[in-house]
Amino acid sequence: MGFGFDEIHGRPETDSSSFTALLELPPPQAVELLIKEDFPAKPMPPPIFPSNIALIDRASKFSIYASPDNSPDSTAILPASSSMKLDLVKQEPLESDSHPNSSSPAVSNQSSKSGKRKEREKKAKESNKKSQKVAANEASELSGEKLPYVHVRARRGQATDSHSLAERARREKINARMKLLQELVPGCNKISGTAMVLDEIINHVQALQRQVEFLSMRLAAVNPRIDFNLDAVFAAESGSSIDNSYLGMFDPSIWPEGQINGSRQNLYQQPLHFDGLHQPSWGREDDTSNFISPEDSLLSYDSPPNSAENGAVKRRARVSQVARFVYTGYN
Amino acid sequence: MCNSTMLKQEFLKKWIKGLHIYNNLNKCVTISDRKKAIKLSADVAIASTRKAATHWSKALMDDVVSRDGNNIILVQQILGGGQNAEKNNSGLITCSNRILRRSHNNIMACRKARRRVVPRCVKSSSIARKLVKNKTRVLKSLVPGGQKMDGHRLIKETLDYIVSLRVQVDVMRRLACAAERFHP
Repeated sequence: MGFGFDEIHGRPETDSSSFTALLELPPPQAVELLIKEDFPAKPMPPPIFPSNIALIDRASKFSIYASPDNSPDSTAILPASSSMKLDLVKQEPLESDSHPNSSSPAVSNQSSKSGKRKEREKKAKESNKKSQKVAANEASELSGEKLPYVHVRARRGQATDSHSLAERARREKINARMKLLQELVPGCNKISGTAMVLDEIINHVQALQRQVEFLSMRLAAVNPRIDFNLDAVFAAESGSSIDNSYLGMFDPSIWPEGQINGSRQNLYQQPLHFDGLHQPSWGREDDTSNFISPEDSLLSYDSPPNSAENGAVKRRARVSQVARFVYTGYN
Repeated sequence: MCNSTMLKQEFLKKWIKGLHIYNNLNKCVTISDRKKAIKLSADVAIASTRKAATHWSKALMDDVVSRDGNNIILVQQILGGGQNAEKNNSGLITCSNRILRRSHNNIMACRKARRRVVPRCVKSSSIARKLVKNKTRVLKSLVPGGQKMDGHRLIKETLDYIVSLRVQVDVMRRLACAAERFHP
């Protein structure tokens, strides 16, 4: 056993990082670690493999001494082709699980590389008429970089001068955003044509703005004092049979100090230890309530905009659930 | 999506905070005063959730500040920072820019109208383009700060604005229902 360690000790300082790791490791994992240490540093097959091969040979021999069941690994390691080693690096993370520090950079590098490759492939497939550069540009644009040039290959039967190309690129960006808008605004998916879609968007924005006005009027009509509703609402909430754990998520520090009175503080203090009960009770609430769940309320906004004005009867019926829902929704 | 619920929580907190602050500053007697206060706090709160990352939020803040000088305190407290002097100036600048642009547009429209002869054939593409232009103009008037944006940016801002408006409406509606339940 000591023979292997001494050998490795005697090596020059070029591979010191892997040695220090080796020193702490039992022999079978040391071999795997050696290979992984090389790979995260260089994406391409590094040229220093030949010098490592001797080391790896020795280490593999050492591992054979240490435990016979690792011999398939070591014998597989011996051939020095870089592609083989890449494959092995991919396999080995599956086997070794005791060294997350060393294995994770390799694995994450691999996965991030493959992820980027996949993203680029997907983009190339979607915009299959465009050149690769545009796909790469889009991928990097998503990550926040700005590139000076956009290389677009002209499609068949279209003008090729720079102005129209740039304009086409711009138009395609606009079209992509319009598609997002179409998904967001309900009922826009079936409409084709920019003008009609814009019409729907305008209607939607106007309806939302009108709703804000109307709701602020409602809230103003409820109470003589504008900040009074919350005190009373919370106080009433605590009196009802509703689980007080929901109130715990509003911590008292957000209210200005002058307004907090003793009774409210008591109200907040006691439910705080109920936090652990949050999860199971929400499942029930979400199932029984008729409202859109908080997770979907932004994306699946399928109630018509004017329902607030003429849905008063429906609202009264749901009010008890709503009162609970105001607080369940906030987590 | 936990992101939306976090947004709603943030909006609610800021809104309530704004309401408290406003209540301390101004006395609201009539119902319209209260309504204005509520709407103002809600607008400031929803704009501050974006933290000036989008143009419409900045424009909305400018609007609030320029409407009434007292609102600066409200905005300051909610934003938690001293960017208000700049906001004041930028608000004035945008107002003057708007006026300049509108006058410029009017002039150009007049010139174009005079120059145009009866068109020989009415192309559908030109009609479509005119329609789109009109609608874009309307959208620009709806989205705060929309006058300064070109088509591409306008759509991006509209997306963000719609999402924020929905958050605002959702939270306000729930609070209104809950409040009505306990104060019928």
